Amino acid sequence: MSEHAINKVAELAIETGRLVLESGGETHRVEEMMHNVCSGFGYPDNESYVTLTGIFLSIKSAAGEVVTLIKRIETFGVDLDKISAVSKLTLDLQKQNCRLKGNKNFVPMSFDDYNRKLELIKFRKPYPVWVKMLCGGITPGFFSLLFGGSWLEFGVAFVMGVYVSIILRLLAFMHLNKFLINAVGAGLIVWFAQMAGLHIGQMNTDKIIIGGIMLLVPGLAITNAIRDTMAGDLVAGTARTVEAIFVAAAIATGAGSMLKLWALLV
Amino acid sequence: MFSVINKLWLMQVCFGGIAILGFSIRSNIRGWKLIFTSLGGAICWGLYLMFLGWSKSLLLSVFLATLSVCLYSEVMGRIYRIPVSVFVICAIIPLVPGSGLYYAMKAYIDGNGMEFMAKMGQTLMIAGTISVAIAVMSSITNLFRSMIRRF
Repeated sequence: MSEHAINKVAELAIETGRLVLESGGETHRVEEMMHNVCSGFGYPDNESYVTLTGIFLSIKSAAGEVVTLIKRIETFGVDLDKISAVSKLTLDLQKQNCRLKGNKNFVPMSFDDYNRKLELIKFRKPYPVWVKMLCGGITPGFFSLLFGGSWLEFGVAFVMGVYVSIILRLLAFMHLNKFLINAVGAGLIVWFAQMAGLHIGQMNTDKIIIGGIMLLVPGLAITNAIRDTMAGDLVAGTARTVEAIFVAAAIATGAGSMLKLWALLV
Repeated sequence: MFSVINKLWLMQVCFGGIAILGFSIRSNIRGWKLIFTSLGGAICWGLYLMFLGWSKSLLLSVFLATLSVCLYSEVMGRIYRIPVSVFVICAIIPLVPGSGLYYAMKAYIDGNGMEFMAKMGQTLMIAGTISVAIAVMSSITNLFRSMIRRF
């Protein structure tokens, strides 16, 4: 019999899962982490089913008591730091409470201890806004160099990246969906590059646009789609694949309509 | 294969590393992990150029570069006990065919149907190759892990 209340453990496990899934984690990793949390606090008999938009968790105690929780996931972001921190925390929990149980040198991690560490991860401060904006410039700049641009194109791509990052951040406050945000971003990139090409001249606008588009490409969706499918989670794999295709279609739509508009107007 | 290593290659590798550094900061990676993710991006681009110079085949070099960078990520993830996908997500970004997508769209807007089909096909092939390489490497590591557990 465990000393922790079964509903408390279920809530904590589902909170862990929510944190990782909202930061862009793979679903089979989320299932693994939730299993680690439940078995770490004395409920090895648990099942979870994680999709990209919801978590289902069912725990059974030794006495036969069953608790089931469902959590709907609304927001999606990318925060790889949170994923790695939570992963480390659950692995530590599993190591201290299950594998090294009875070892005198290791004290098991207590419920409050785990909860406090999870709260710390949850409210860990992200990078300041200006650092992210600057990196939004660095990435397109160096990508345009990588694809054969000159230093002038690097400069234009850098400025463009900073501007586009600021505008996309402002648009994010309006809760636009992913398709629209990527389409608007690609359109802005093409517009900025064509403007620079018109007023400064002597440059290959294609290299600037490609550098900017690399900021939007769905790398996370592709990676997670394949790794989830290979781990046997076909539902999440399909969902991520569709997301990747949609984002690519959005980029193509935004860039294409802006190219056509530019060709018609100028 | 090593004949492509010169000053230009080194510069390209550095650019790839710095670009991925920016990308990882945007994905909110902190601390010492930044060094390893940007190193992953640099390795990915450097190996891609090397394989491209050696084999002259676009898809084969994308495949081999992705495969090696996934191996790197699996090793790093195992050593530092953080999810492997954190490294893979950042490292494969230079190979993702954003340029093919753009050129295909541009050809379509210009009314050049043949060019559009060729570029679109190439884009899809590269995306498929990256996926297959990630799939192969994750299956191999799963196999390897289950073999270790058995013996």
